Amino acid sequence: MPDQTALTAMLPEHSLLAGIVVLICLEVLGRGSRPALWVSLLSIAAASVSAFWLASMQVTAEPFAGQFSVTPAILVAKGALLALAIPVVLMARSEFREGEFSLLLLSSLYGLCLLPSSMSYLVMFIGLELLAMPVYALVLLAYHRPESAEASFKYLVLSGAASATFLMGVSLLYGATGSMDVSTFAQALGSGDALTRTATVLVLLALFLKSAIVPFHAWAPDTYEGASIPVTAYMATLTKGAVLLAAVRLFGTVTVTGPLVGLLMALPLASIVFGNLAAIRQSSFRRMIAYSSIAHAGYLFYAFLGDPAARMRAVLFYVIAYSAANLLAFAVVPQNDRDEQRDALDNFRGLFHRDPAAALLIGIAMLSLAGLPPFPGFVGKFMIFRSVMAAGHVTYAVLGLVGSYLGMYFYLRVIARMFMGAGEAVATEQRAGALARTAGWICLAATMLLAALPGWVIGRL
Amino acid sequence: MAEATLLNLVLWLPLCGAGLLLLVARRNDDLARTLTTAVMVAQFAAAAWLYQRFDTTTAALQFSTAVPWIPQWGVSYLVGLDGFNILLVLLTAFLGPLVVLGARTSIDRDVTFFHALLLVLQTAMVGAFVAQDLFLFYLFWEAMLIPMFLMIGIWGGTRRVYATLKFFLYTAVGSILMLAAVIYLVSALQATSGVTSFAFADLYRTQLPLTVQMILLGAFALSFAIKVPMVPLHTWLPDAHVEAPTAGSVVLAGVLLKMGTYGFMKLGFPLFPDAARAFTPVLMTLASVSIVYGACLALVQTDIKKIIAYSSISHLGYVMLGLLSLELTGIQGAMIQMVSHGLVAAGLFLLVGMIYERCHTRELAAFGGLARQVPVYAVFFMIFTLASVGLPATSGFTGEFLVLLGAFRSAWPAHLAGNDLPLWLSVAAVSGVVLGALYMLRFALTFLFGEPKAPHQPLRDLSGRERFILGVLTVAVFALGLFPAGALRATEQAAVTYQQLVGTPRAPGVTP
Repeated sequence: MPDQTALTAMLPEHSLLAGIVVLICLEVLGRGSRPALWVSLLSIAAASVSAFWLASMQVTAEPFAGQFSVTPAILVAKGALLALAIPVVLMARSEFREGEFSLLLLSSLYGLCLLPSSMSYLVMFIGLELLAMPVYALVLLAYHRPESAEASFKYLVLSGAASATFLMGVSLLYGATGSMDVSTFAQALGSGDALTRTATVLVLLALFLKSAIVPFHAWAPDTYEGASIPVTAYMATLTKGAVLLAAVRLFGTVTVTGPLVGLLMALPLASIVFGNLAAIRQSSFRRMIAYSSIAHAGYLFYAFLGDPAARMRAVLFYVIAYSAANLLAFAVVPQNDRDEQRDALDNFRGLFHRDPAAALLIGIAMLSLAGLPPFPGFVGKFMIFRSVMAAGHVTYAVLGLVGSYLGMYFYLRVIARMFMGAGEAVATEQRAGALARTAGWICLAATMLLAALPGWVIGRL
Repeated sequence: MAEATLLNLVLWLPLCGAGLLLLVARRNDDLARTLTTAVMVAQFAAAAWLYQRFDTTTAALQFSTAVPWIPQWGVSYLVGLDGFNILLVLLTAFLGPLVVLGARTSIDRDVTFFHALLLVLQTAMVGAFVAQDLFLFYLFWEAMLIPMFLMIGIWGGTRRVYATLKFFLYTAVGSILMLAAVIYLVSALQATSGVTSFAFADLYRTQLPLTVQMILLGAFALSFAIKVPMVPLHTWLPDAHVEAPTAGSVVLAGVLLKMGTYGFMKLGFPLFPDAARAFTPVLMTLASVSIVYGACLALVQTDIKKIIAYSSISHLGYVMLGLLSLELTGIQGAMIQMVSHGLVAAGLFLLVGMIYERCHTRELAAFGGLARQVPVYAVFFMIFTLASVGLPATSGFTGEFLVLLGAFRSAWPAHLAGNDLPLWLSVAAVSGVVLGALYMLRFALTFLFGEPKAPHQPLRDLSGRERFILGVLTVAVFALGLFPAGALRATEQAAVTYQQLVGTPRAPGVTP
């Protein structure tokens, strides 16, 4: 029977749950819209703070034996991801005044919290589903656009396929080992027999599908484009990060060897090259970010080749740096009544002359995403490629770096458009809302902190 | 201690100034200009004070600060002055206020942002020079690109976006491979000696097999050679110069181009000495080709900015030649030549900018007889032209003379031993001097003398501000030309260190 530890160790989850309950009550009482923002903000902030607090208390607990556990490292990961959800809520305010958005987001975040803590495939599966299902609805919330239905449907089918693949792999593993414990995956990685080999590959493919690795990426651009900007931001950053953390959990402390290395190298490398090249051709900001996020998923999976002890840290730092930059870019994109107008890259032309602060923030975000120093994207990239090279995969590290060079062009082109073009504003364009701008400044502060004191941050991950 | 703080101030003052500018002077152009000038002058004063206090008798790092920054990887905030960088820091700080003054009339939109970028660039450049930790160096090295990218792209000429993207992507391709080499080098240091460090001093001790050294030096050299720029990696430079605003050209030619040769001197060759010696014939050939080819291209240009841009390629070839000679005179000559080129190219680009502001054309054919219309301008132009050609008593002479002396000194023993290549390369390099005189004098002749061209009359001669800028630069050019002893003393220990680092074999099993 879970005792006191379940109360304290799951404080972040409980905070989210409390928020969900209050939101439902508010909905039932019919006064959802106004307080929903504050309830969701409060509950996410409380969850994040409690996660950091528990981490600082060095809490290690297993409130549900064999199912759910926390360690300081996991708590920090949760706290960081939840903190990144705050800008998402802030920037969504101008588009979604109803309570559903907050409700769905909190539910999805609950799933996100389960992932790094899961000890059994069951909890991990629930986490993955709970993470994704509200997002189907979130995508659909931009229902006044025809694309959103298509986007949601695509995501539903592909994500469903990923879940099925995951289940298939897990059931094979269960058949082979008789255990639902996630640590069996780490053992299976080194195993030679056909059944477990198939199982590991299936699970890996499910993860690739969820995080849009080439050739399982086709859903991402369409879905990102069809969703509204805050939802795209959420999908591109937090859900991807959560899936990667689940993968870290699965791989455990294994140094990847054998034929799987080939799979782990080739597909992420293909993602880096393809994502970066395809992003060059896009004329929509959201599609460009979608392709760039395909490339970033490639960098993240590179981390699995490296030192297992530092893997969690590397992935987490990269996810934080990358998410902060992405959210920063999305937060200050100018408002427009017609959502599809918001992200036409042509509308960015001359933004510097209309709204210098927004152009500056988006510019910093682009430079960080491009992995240029002194911005934190560079430190993240450095961390990952260093661990890959230290593990002896020199050629792949060099190829990955060259692949990242391909990405610079389209990030720079956004900057060139904003600063060097003399574009006129579209009539319907307005500045991003005050709350969204606040979100932008928060992300900028986070980015600056990561840039100035990376050592301090890494020491605390 | 106090001096160490002062060095940090030299480094960070401009960046703080940029922040201040964006906060207080967003709509006030004059305030932005005044503040920037004040910050730059303060930075120069601090740098000059440090130069004054610099101990020339030791090769050790001076005024240094070491603070662990990313302790997990052995990265620290390690900055300091040594004979390698002292002159370059001084040059950067010296050019700063002049660039701001020079931009006073030519930049008339987004003035605050321009000056903020100039200040950010200043910090990045000084940072790349004073960094003694490879991670920190790389950070500043890359950070330099961003303000330059924006400066060319926002305030540049009509093809500015093309030029700025070309500039960025060219230089970034080198940087990416250098990054791979940096990561490999640090991993190798950790694997072979167990030391986790990015400090130059530790990295100098890494022992690597010759083939690995050659690959790593290749990656570093690509990055540095693009920046220098050495033929055949030079094609970004004329585009960048032609499209850049005057201030951008001055910084580009005055300081940024020195980054490449500084990189070779401080990192590339000393880190991989065996590979450096193995590559010497190739690099020496490329340096000589750069000298002659750059001069030949300068000879046929019709755009006056391009003439100077190509002459930069030629002049930096001398620096490479001096570094490769491994002779004390040659190395010191290279250091002097770096500073000299910084001063002279800055002066020439400022002069071109001044005439462009008046006539709005840079076609050589559109000018003539300026000596009669604007005599003061013509005098300054002649001074800088002659300094560029290497007239004795100017800084250009000191640099080129020492480099060529060093090149011949190192070529002669090889010649006696039956290897004629270095000698031929040195002879070719001397022909660059002749070509240099040819193109600069042709330039001056059509530009200053002959019949005045109609559309530009009457022309306003230099204003007091412009006279001041050029006057200060002229004084510096002559000071370095007539009294090079101080600068030579400051660099001497560094040159000796360089000679030892590059001259001694480090790979197991390599005989010199």
